[in-house]
Amino acid sequence: MAEFDIEPGAARDSVLIASGSFDNFEQMSSSLEEIITENAVSSREDLNLIGAQADNGEESSSKAENGVEPEEEIENSVEWTSKKKHIFVLSTAGKPIYSRYGNEDKLAWLFGVMLGLFKYSRDSIKSIHAGDTTYVFLSKKPLILVAVSKTGESVSQLTLQLNYVFNQIVSMLTLKRLTKTYDERPNYDLRRLLTGVDRLIDHLLDFSETEPAFTLGAIQCLPLALPDRDSISKAIKDACSKIKNLVFAILLGNNRLITIVQMKKYHLHPMDLHLIFNLVLANESLKYSESWTPFCLPRFDNSGFLYAHVSYLADDCQACLLLLTVERDVFFPLSGAKQKIVEKLRINGGMEHINASLASLEESALAAGFPEVRHYLYKCKSTAQFYQPAACPPYARDRIKLMELYKRAHHKMHYSSRSLKLSFERSADEAVFSWDTKGFELYAIFEPLIETSSAIMSVSKLLNWIKKREDKLFHLNAYTF
Amino acid sequence: MGALNQDVDIQNFFIFNSQLCPKEGEELKKIVYYYPPSDNTEVQVENVGLVEGIIQFTQTFNPDSPVKSLHTGKQRQLFLQPERDFWIVLTIALPVVTKVKENTSFIEYLEEDVQDNVYESVLRQLYDMYRLFWGTFQHTLEQSDLGTLMTKIEKFYNAYLKTLRMAHMDILTVFKGIQYLPLDRHTFLKIQCFVNDVESNMEYIAHTAFLYNEHVVWSGIEPNDMQTIYQYLIDQLLPANVEAELQGGSMPRNLQSPFTALRRGRFITGPSNLKQAKTVGKVPKIYLFNEDGVLEYYLVVYRALSATVCFFVKGKTELTLDQFKALDEHINPRLSPIVNSIADYCSKQVVSPSNIQESSPKFIYFNKLNLACKSTVHLDNKHTGNVACSADSLRIMADMKNTSHFLGPSGENIVKTTNDYWVFSKTSNLREFYIVLQQKSASLISISEEVKRLCESELEGIFFHPM
Repeated sequence: MAEFDIEPGAARDSVLIASGSFDNFEQMSSSLEEIITENAVSSREDLNLIGAQADNGEESSSKAENGVEPEEEIENSVEWTSKKKHIFVLSTAGKPIYSRYGNEDKLAWLFGVMLGLFKYSRDSIKSIHAGDTTYVFLSKKPLILVAVSKTGESVSQLTLQLNYVFNQIVSMLTLKRLTKTYDERPNYDLRRLLTGVDRLIDHLLDFSETEPAFTLGAIQCLPLALPDRDSISKAIKDACSKIKNLVFAILLGNNRLITIVQMKKYHLHPMDLHLIFNLVLANESLKYSESWTPFCLPRFDNSGFLYAHVSYLADDCQACLLLLTVERDVFFPLSGAKQKIVEKLRINGGMEHINASLASLEESALAAGFPEVRHYLYKCKSTAQFYQPAACPPYARDRIKLMELYKRAHHKMHYSSRSLKLSFERSADEAVFSWDTKGFELYAIFEPLIETSSAIMSVSKLLNWIKKREDKLFHLNAYTF
Repeated sequence: MGALNQDVDIQNFFIFNSQLCPKEGEELKKIVYYYPPSDNTEVQVENVGLVEGIIQFTQTFNPDSPVKSLHTGKQRQLFLQPERDFWIVLTIALPVVTKVKENTSFIEYLEEDVQDNVYESVLRQLYDMYRLFWGTFQHTLEQSDLGTLMTKIEKFYNAYLKTLRMAHMDILTVFKGIQYLPLDRHTFLKIQCFVNDVESNMEYIAHTAFLYNEHVVWSGIEPNDMQTIYQYLIDQLLPANVEAELQGGSMPRNLQSPFTALRRGRFITGPSNLKQAKTVGKVPKIYLFNEDGVLEYYLVVYRALSATVCFFVKGKTELTLDQFKALDEHINPRLSPIVNSIADYCSKQVVSPSNIQESSPKFIYFNKLNLACKSTVHLDNKHTGNVACSADSLRIMADMKNTSHFLGPSGENIVKTTNDYWVFSKTSNLREFYIVLQQKSASLISISEEVKRLCESELEGIFFHPM
């Protein structure tokens, strides 16, 4: 098989934190305080300010979004029970907070039952298995999250999704605020603080059904030639270098990462970046105006907000730029910086390159010269980035089926006490090759009748093909402010 | 890896029927059986209540697929509703290891070492074995009353639970297969003639099953029924008797010599010593279930040399000592030559375990149609963990079995573990084949070829050998 000194896509300086498949969700940094103390002119004052501002910001944002009535639905119908995946969130006092389908208030009895099960089992309840239905419980103080799924996903995959839902809630409130709210008023109806978040959670759940990024814990980049990506990163770096306390500048388009420029020493976790992608994709309205929103990145620091200046580059370039800072009132300086970035990208051709890449889809494996490969996922572990070709028949219209194959393969490889190095599986419909090495993971789907030896040859060729194009398919050079 | 300081163990086992007492405050009346009795009634009622809650909760979402298991931090709970309104619940304490990290030791529960499909099968067997000897719960309720049912259940499970070896259940428990003895046509025909001869001469015998050592040679009853009877014979009845015969002496495995085995045949259910017997002794009654409904039989078991013959005597027959004497007279002289020719044939075929290299591939085969099962992984039938491969590779097989439905009716899978051994599975034509290979530096291609070769040699033999 193919041997590399360095696996395709590896970089000296990763822009993202390398993620294990199911790493410790509890581990959180307290990066915010560090940034503020280090860069503060008068540190004490700033620190206090941030705390106060965080509260204000969130009060105003929740007010602004108030007034959205939950849709009416029939909660006792067959249609409701036959949904593939239900997600519920409740407080430890049993107050309904979120239900993916149906109105939480009408489901109050069900939330009561779930709380009962949670409380009465003397031992922490994890999952219930009933034929094709799996029930997963996750306790994240002060909330309880429950998934009811008929998708065939594993308990660990469903738990991961519940963690995402929890992080989505934290991203709008901060964990500090969430805990404080319940400490003070255990019976509080959190939905008052969360109006609008249910839409984000809805989108997150739909999004993760077809997007392998969540399962892999990685990010896919927009293909760009190395010098082009560098010049874009450099334009952002130059335009923002004078701005104090800017932590991350993220440029993305079409659900792909274009570049990240970050403050020295600080890195984004893919989980946080997924929430940012979700925020952008779930809000069409961001396209039409510059906006300013507080946003907590739970893996980066769950105790406080970053403030995000969000805007699309231009009407003729649908890439979204997010500038994240710890300062609460720098909208105008950041707006100015954005203008500078746009100007630079127009001059150095960056915008053209982005547009060209956005307009052309990824090649299918067939078009790249691998007729026997139907589809594949390649993940470079050290940089938490992955690549997938365009889906082609028989999966072009059935992304869900494709994702099911990958989820199953991924689960099998990472089943914690019995993880595997390699698996080759053959059914009447397809052959699935999974390979987990120190540097990378590869999942490839072949025609069902392929010979083992030709599958292995294809895998070798495929890895070489990726290696040759690594500087285009992956974000290799990290830029810092 | 830390030290294993607690293996899989039964936490509790109970049977309840919510319809027995829908009234609040009298929940204890729902409980038909509860083990261990050391749990006080409060705990019992609470445990049953929680299961009722889980059943209700899951029925909200999917009334058609009943709840099978509950995973918690320290326990695993398995559920079975074998008859309307009756639920059987088995709770297992997860195995525990103590690990040391940064100088502090902590306890870790090995959740993934306990596999649902294995212990669901254990639970099913717990019910099937009861039903074999006492019939359905409902049947007893209709014939007599709840008190009788509770007594029967208590008597049975108090004894049976003690014999279960929970720690060494694996994929073979899932299959609950029957080991058949493949014979040449000529020898097989001799047995067939013997069975036909007995059944036509002794009208009260409805069916017959013939075992040689632990292998079934002939069975006249449905495989599904034979499955439970086979478990009973292999796990309970025969080991107890073999030990009694040897009077404390140890018996090497794969013993073929007829001289050390029983020379003169005798009944091991019924009158064990015909010369001195005054009554027919203890003959268990069993209940078999098929399309025609329930059939009652007496299970008369006769052992001679290495053979065990089971006679299924129609339940309405009145058993007499003379019958047993006549039967013994009839079969004893006929059996010896048959058993000798089986022994002759086997001695030519059998590869004794000492001839097999340790690193050679080990396999497990199962045929869903006749429930035939064969394993070179397991060195005996005693569920003591005497296996020729790692416990993890056996678990990987059970994992594969558990997800094989995703691959459809025919599929195969080959995996390399983090410890560099290979496990292969193949399902086709309702047959399942699993191989463990311990070849560290092999490549996928060489392993695939090896597996192909093994499938050809082993499966061909099994598929086309007369059985």
